[in-house]
Amino acid sequence: MQRILLFVDKVSTFVGHAFSFLIVALTLHVAWEVFRRYVLDSPRAWAFDVMIMLYGTLFMMAGAYTLAKNGHVRGDILYGFFRPRTQATIDLVLYIVFFLPGVVALTYAGYFYASESWAINEHSTITSEGPPIYPFKTVIPVAGAFVLMQGIVEIVRCVICLKNGAWPSREEDVEEVDVDKLKEELHVKDEDIQKLDRYVAPKEPAR
Amino acid sequence: MRIRKELWFGFSLMALIIAAVLIFTPWGNLVDGHLSKEDMGHLGLLMLALIVVAIMLGFPTAFTLMGMGVFFAWLAYRSVDPATAGQRVFDAFVQRTYGVMANDVLIAIPLFLFMGYLVERAQLIDRLFRSLHLATSRLPGSLAVATIVTCAIFATATGIVGAVVTLMGLLAFPAMLKAGYNVKIAAGAVTAGGCLGILIPPSVLLIVYGATAGVSVVQLYAGAFFPGMMLATLYVGYIVVLAKWRPALMPPLSEEERRVPLPALAQALAARGGNAFAGLWRAVTGDSGVPRHKALGQLVVSLVPALAIAAVLLVTYRAATAPVVEASAAGLVEIGGLAEAAAGAEEAQPSGVIGAEEAEDEGGVKEPPGEEEKPQEISAAPAGEEAPRETELQEAKPQDAKPEQAMPLERLPAPAWYWIVLAIGAAAAAVIYRLWNWERLEVFKLLLTSFFPLALLILAVLGSIVFGLATPAEAAAVGAFGGFVLVMIYRLIALWRTRPPGGAVGGAALWDAVKDFGVIIKESSFLTARTSAMVCWLFVGSGIFSAAFALLGGQELVEKWVLSLNLTPVQFLILAQVIIFLLGWPLEWTEIIIIFMPIFIPLLPHFDINPLFFGLLVALNLQTAFLSPPVAMAAFYLKGVSPPHVTLNAIFAGMMPFMGLQIVSMFVLYAWPQLGLWLPSVLYGK
Repeated sequence: MQRILLFVDKVSTFVGHAFSFLIVALTLHVAWEVFRRYVLDSPRAWAFDVMIMLYGTLFMMAGAYTLAKNGHVRGDILYGFFRPRTQATIDLVLYIVFFLPGVVALTYAGYFYASESWAINEHSTITSEGPPIYPFKTVIPVAGAFVLMQGIVEIVRCVICLKNGAWPSREEDVEEVDVDKLKEELHVKDEDIQKLDRYVAPKEPAR
Repeated sequence: MRIRKELWFGFSLMALIIAAVLIFTPWGNLVDGHLSKEDMGHLGLLMLALIVVAIMLGFPTAFTLMGMGVFFAWLAYRSVDPATAGQRVFDAFVQRTYGVMANDVLIAIPLFLFMGYLVERAQLIDRLFRSLHLATSRLPGSLAVATIVTCAIFATATGIVGAVVTLMGLLAFPAMLKAGYNVKIAAGAVTAGGCLGILIPPSVLLIVYGATAGVSVVQLYAGAFFPGMMLATLYVGYIVVLAKWRPALMPPLSEEERRVPLPALAQALAARGGNAFAGLWRAVTGDSGVPRHKALGQLVVSLVPALAIAAVLLVTYRAATAPVVEASAAGLVEIGGLAEAAAGAEEAQPSGVIGAEEAEDEGGVKEPPGEEEKPQEISAAPAGEEAPRETELQEAKPQDAKPEQAMPLERLPAPAWYWIVLAIGAAAAAVIYRLWNWERLEVFKLLLTSFFPLALLILAVLGSIVFGLATPAEAAAVGAFGGFVLVMIYRLIALWRTRPPGGAVGGAALWDAVKDFGVIIKESSFLTARTSAMVCWLFVGSGIFSAAFALLGGQELVEKWVLSLNLTPVQFLILAQVIIFLLGWPLEWTEIIIIFMPIFIPLLPHFDINPLFFGLLVALNLQTAFLSPPVAMAAFYLKGVSPPHVTLNAIFAGMMPFMGLQIVSMFVLYAWPQLGLWLPSVLYGK
């Protein structure tokens, strides 16, 4: 079971990683476009459409990846204090009550939305002869499907946690605040921090 | 035991809300599907209460919003026509989602995040803190002042509270403890400083607010600039006053710690005279036993401030004597009195953004007669002849402003205020070079490699947004590209420093650096993708949620209720800010803005409150959420890297005065709204 869970995690992560490089493309695209406009004086009409598509695809396709890394914002004012079993119960119920209807609706609606766009061969109307827009709309159901798949894995995780009383493991990934790495970067060791105590201790005796 | 208490408090709060929901739900009508308008409105309010409970339970908010939104939208549609309800919910949902995907304001979010992650990984905070520390070493409480300034700059460029607080907790916090600073003050300086990036533009919070409230992000940035600066200044002022008043809390540094190590060249020359400028000049022109090319290099560095001043003066002059279409040499001749003017001409273009900003100040303060549209001209001036389209679009009416003032072909004579500026600039240059000793030269060189690149990056990004040269998204992309360059340069410098003595940089080392660079890009991209997915999926969820809220007529009910209270605008403002402050306890700022701002914003016209002004107050208010216990994130980040005897309570106690300063600054902004509204009104004539 754990192997299947981790495999789906890996798929979501792989997709998320692959699409996250769009930010590099987006940066270079926009910077180059600004250069073209001001220095070369030859802006391109479709640049704005491409910008929007890169951004929209980036965040939609990263949705499942973020879910796999438990990165969607939670109100953890109380959640953090619960025992894993309580956490899993809440999550399990709410995955079924909120997550499944919401994401299924998104995927289902997105499918028809995109297929209509394919049917009429829709192009962007921001400029005349804008680029085709149906691939971009297809992102909605695809991203929805990935999120749904990852959500099912999370539901299974809740069940496992209910059984074992502990959360099953996740794959490692980069952390926004990786304390160990930052320590290394500044050449600070744990002993150094411990040593600092002598500046603090006299004023504030240990409790 | 404390934990239990908090749990009980949370639970009883939730139970209260749920009980209210159960009592007020129109059960009878809900079952047979015929809801009156009144019922639906109540349902809308219940939805709002439920979402607070659901968020507090700790389920990912984006999906909570989605699920609830879909369900309540379906209820609303069903009471109109049960047959098509499903289809209409799907349509509404997917269209809202597409609206988020094609949002031209939100697009700036991933780009600013990317810039932040890159700058964070450029590894310059170490150097930044050291140089600022040396630069401020004569001030009372210098370490704390340097901490706040470092935080302000670094947090502004990166916008990542956690990383800034952790880094400064590893770097500045030990330094302050070792210097004998009071633990509380040290902790307060690190945490309060780390949160400044939320307010000072370019900040992601303001983009999110702009996208939610429909306020121009450009104006928000222009408006938040001075309040942000004010807050930082208040912090610094507080530290300095406190250190003067009770030196025991922040003992001054010893002479030993203040000394700047001088390189051999400087030491040799310093023996002959204290003034570095004169010393270098002698070394270059005459024979003084030091390698001439090295002295020349130092001399060029010494000339940078003069060049900068000359460039600012030149740009100011050009702006002041506009409108003239062709570039004339008049400017150069006029300033010819300054020896550096000719060299300054070359500098003028790159530093145009900064120069223009100062020009702006002058133009606004003095307001020469008969030239009311001067600010527009000034802001357009650095752009050169091909003023971009955005400038015209955003400034609303530069075209039709006084057509009778047809562009004269000659430059106008410089107004009197310009000569005053010129005198001030010259005096500043004179003072700088009078005080230009060897230590200051070293400090300046340090600042040049840490403080100025970052400040320039921020100012370039902000300036191009505020003066309408680029949209926020474009400026963010260029800023991210600047982040690229910054990372690359700092890596190359590090490589150069660690090269084997005498030899060149080896191929293997170079290859390692390239790989390192690749890893940085990769990690930054991953983090950007995750954080932007977090924020933007929240928008996807709130899209259908707010649609449901509007369909149910909850908004109307809220409006009716608030208006029935007969509040004065002041009372309303205070009520709104108190509610937002309280929401800051269980919720994150993203949730507060995305879910609750759409409810407040439509109320603003009733009370004649500018949404821009409201946004600035909200941004200041949410700052306090980061510093108010028990959820203050900043405190936990600092606790994670501080020695065991520094308790959370000590950190909280240290943050309190700074939180007080934030509230003070909210009152100041309220009392003098011009603080926030002046710059946008000057720039965009609103």
